[in-house]
Amino acid sequence: MSQRYVIVHDENKCIGCQACSVACRSENNVPDGVSRLQVHIQGPFGEAPNLHFKYHRMSCQQCENAPCVTVCPTGAAYIGDDGIVSIKPEKCVGCMYCVAACPYKVRFMNPETKVADKCNFCKDTRLARGEQPACVDVCPTDALVFGDTNDNNSQVAKMLLQRANYQDSTHLGTKPRVYRIPTKKGGIVS
Amino acid sequence: MNNTWGDVAQYDPVTWNWIIAIYLFMAGLSAGSLLIGLGLRWWSNTDDKSESAILKAAALIAPVAICIGLACLVFDLTKPFHFWLILINYNFESVMAIGVAVLLFYIPLTFAYALMVLRDELAQWKLGFLTPIATMLLPWRKPIELVMFVLALGVGAYTGFLLSAMNAYPMLNTAVLPALFLVSGLSAGAAANTLVALLMFNSNGHEPHMKTMHGMELPVVFAEMTFIFMLFCALYFKGGAAAMALASLTTGVWAVVFWVGVVAIGFGIPLLSMLMPAHSRHTKGAMVTVACASLAGVLALRHFIIYAGQSYIS
Repeated sequence: MSQRYVIVHDENKCIGCQACSVACRSENNVPDGVSRLQVHIQGPFGEAPNLHFKYHRMSCQQCENAPCVTVCPTGAAYIGDDGIVSIKPEKCVGCMYCVAACPYKVRFMNPETKVADKCNFCKDTRLARGEQPACVDVCPTDALVFGDTNDNNSQVAKMLLQRANYQDSTHLGTKPRVYRIPTKKGGIVS
Repeated sequence: MNNTWGDVAQYDPVTWNWIIAIYLFMAGLSAGSLLIGLGLRWWSNTDDKSESAILKAAALIAPVAICIGLACLVFDLTKPFHFWLILINYNFESVMAIGVAVLLFYIPLTFAYALMVLRDELAQWKLGFLTPIATMLLPWRKPIELVMFVLALGVGAYTGFLLSAMNAYPMLNTAVLPALFLVSGLSAGAAANTLVALLMFNSNGHEPHMKTMHGMELPVVFAEMTFIFMLFCALYFKGGAAAMALASLTTGVWAVVFWVGVVAIGFGIPLLSMLMPAHSRHTKGAMVTVACASLAGVLALRHFIIYAGQSYIS
């Protein structure tokens, strides 16, 4: 694979406005009641008036070792030549094995197509046209950065080199490609 | 405060529901009753070459149970009328695809075997037109039995591997789960064989096969209890998110299902019945009650594993 697309979510810049979620719904015709992308807000933390929140992006983690692809009986869930985990709707029977197996719980059954659905970095639409994914383009605070880490000059490659970052549930060996820059402010979650 | 990010119902970790629990039960039952029927035929000491009531029961249960189970499975798909896609597309990294491949051979063989074993019954069930097929198949009986025995082991164990392959769920992602499902399938199979032999094939409950089968019940129940104990020990020793799953034994509706359904009914009633005097224990009523309790226990175990197992995520 020549590309290794990733998204970086800077949790310091995020304000939890959900513009990304709305743009995603519009770009990908996601029906009401289900989402490819949400930003969950935790908090407030700290003492008034210095309160702050934590923001957590909920979307497909584009795992390099994707459990959904391993369990899919028909090969409907697959990793394409571009490395992006996607779904071939014509092969999906709706067994929900992938929805159950996803450790991040970001796959869902699309109530209109009856096919498993999730973020694919806008691969067939915006990415195919050479544009950024809808969530990245619309973000008012530039909290999202998308790019190819195999390109050393890309903004994501430089960012991940310079900034402390983390990924979710790495202990499961999934190698997720959504990187997060943790908020500088703390907060105790019991 | 309402959240601003929308409906979170899709993040519920419980994806598979009771329909899948029934499928897992039916697949285990089908495989278990066949394994026991064949095992008794091969390893019992009787010289009687006629078909035993137990074998007839097993031959009937195997195809019926797996078909009921598969019907549940197919209609639980979001695209039930596209189920054929799963028959032509295989990803052999997927336990489900391996299961489909095994079932593809297992199911026709269970039907063929039912025809062979029940060839004398076909006429009285108004299925006499199938007798020539049964006669034609008879010379192949030994190889069919051998292949079917191996496939039945596969069917019984694969339902466990299907769940244990998901490493996000600590209670499901354990090495012992396939063994537990295979053994509890044997337990359900023995119970269902008893029921059908008594109620449909006029067994009096005192044939040698029936006695051998009852002799197996105690070790099978102990194996089941050991595997369940090992499952929870594994969670306890693993700590962290896995140890959190132990809460399923003390809180919520699935704790009740476990202690009442699996332990009290599924293990308690069959074990306590062994303390009854022999003459009352071997009455038809007692045997039917114990068999129903075993079946209910295994069904409860499948529900507990499916729901409690998916409720805790690592």
